Parts: sequence; structure tokens; C-alpha cells
Amino acid sequence: MFTELNVFKLANAMATHAGTRQALVSQNIANADTPGYHAKDIKPFSEVFDDNTRPGDMRSSRSKHLNGSSGQGLDWAVSTSEDGSDPNNNSVSIESEILKGVEVKRQHDKALAIYKSSMNILRTSLGRS
Amino acid sequence: MSEFSNALSASSSALKAQATRLRHVSENISNADTPGYRRKTVPFETVRDMNSDIENVKTGRVHLDRTDLAQIYDPSHPLADGSGHYEGSNVDLMIEIADAREAQRSYEANIKMFDQTRQMSASLMELLRR
Repeated sequence: MFTELNVFKLANAMATHAGTRQALVSQNIANADTPGYHAKDIKPFSEVFDDNTRPGDMRSSRSKHLNGSSGQGLDWAVSTSEDGSDPNNNSVSIESEILKGVEVKRQHDKALAIYKSSMNILRTSLGRS
Repeated sequence: MSEFSNALSASSSALKAQATRLRHVSENISNADTPGYRRKTVPFETVRDMNSDIENVKTGRVHLDRTDLAQIYDPSHPLADGSGHYEGSNVDLMIEIADAREAQRSYEANIKMFDQTRQMSASLMELLRR
């Protein structure tokens, strides 16, 4: 556990993902009444992470390796929805964005809780409390 | 961290835009009985921030509604013409109230997102304590 500290990397990726998604949700809600705006989103963290850890995938273990996933290079491409437009060619639904916002908040809280609790384990193992 | 400031700037630009919209709605409502008044509308536009790659909202130029003014029959009115009609405003109160309600709904959604972003960044900062 203590050589790689994967749990911290994972918590970090999860919190960063939540932050990125939060920015997109805010942007979508901000543009909910702008004509011609299409809602943007990134994949949920579970999907991003599953994609990244497919069995048999090549993994890069140092920065000079070219192709292959490194755990940092998760697929966070921003996708734009094309469906269900209003008469003014806007595809934002405030309800689903709010729902997504709640999901993001929970994910962020979860990541921070994991980080904090792992930190406590480290502290305890060092003999501090 | 900069994601949070992007989110805050998007939300605050939208709050400003919705407030401007609400202001024009209330101008329209208060002038609903003013002779010759044309209702004002503000379009929303996206503006891309070059540094942060986020699309904020801003309100564009104010447009005047070009539909015909209402003809009101009142021969005793000082502005009445030979047939006893004068031109009222083209404000439809029902449309204005619906618009105000929609602006309020969007405003509240933005407030909620602003508050949530603030909470998330506060709990991130909480990790640094102790």
C-alpha cells in the first residue's frame, strides 16, 4: 500500500473529475436560456475509470512511454448533446442538470472522505493522531 | 481549483444576465398602460472566455418589439384621434409574467449551482486543516 499510494491517486482523479463536471454543469445551467446552446458533459467517473482499466490494456509506467494509459490520461473529452432541442435550438434541461449537480456533489464528497480517511490511516501508522 | 473559479464565473455571469432580463420585464410591466410604449426584449448570447475555455452568458442589445400597438377606444383621451382611438402599448401582461417566472426559475438554479460550487471548494480547503 505504501509504495504506490494508489488510493490517493484514485481519490485525486475522482475529485478532479467532479470539479470538471461541476464546471460543465454550471456552464449548462448558466446557458439554459441562451439560443443555440447545446448541453455539454463528460462521461461519469465509473465509465471513465472502467475504460481505463480494461484487462489486457497497455499501461505506461513512465513518462517517456508513448501509447498506453497511465491512470492520469483518463478520457475526459467533453461531449456536446445534439438531441431534444427547444424551439430556440437549446438542448439544456434544468431538471437533469440539477440532478447531475447533486451527483457531482456526492462524488466530490465521497472522494474527499476517502482522501481524508486514507490520510488518517497514514497518520496513525506514523504514530500520530 | 481553476475549475471551481470557472464554474463560479459562469454562474455569476448568468445571474447578472437573468437580473438584466428581469429588470426589462419589470420595465415592460410598469409601462403596460403607457401610450405608445413598445415592449423591450434582451437576447442572451454566449461569450467564450479565452483563458479558461468556458462559455459565459451576456445580454446583447435591447430590442424593441415591432408588433402593432393596441388601439384603445376612449374618445375622452387627450391623444385620441378622429375615430376616438389612441395607441396604447404592445405589452401583454400574461407574457411578461410568464417571462418573469422563467427568469426567476433560472436565477434560482444558478444560485444553487453557485452555492454548491462554493461548498465543494470549502470542503476541499477543509482538507488542509489540522
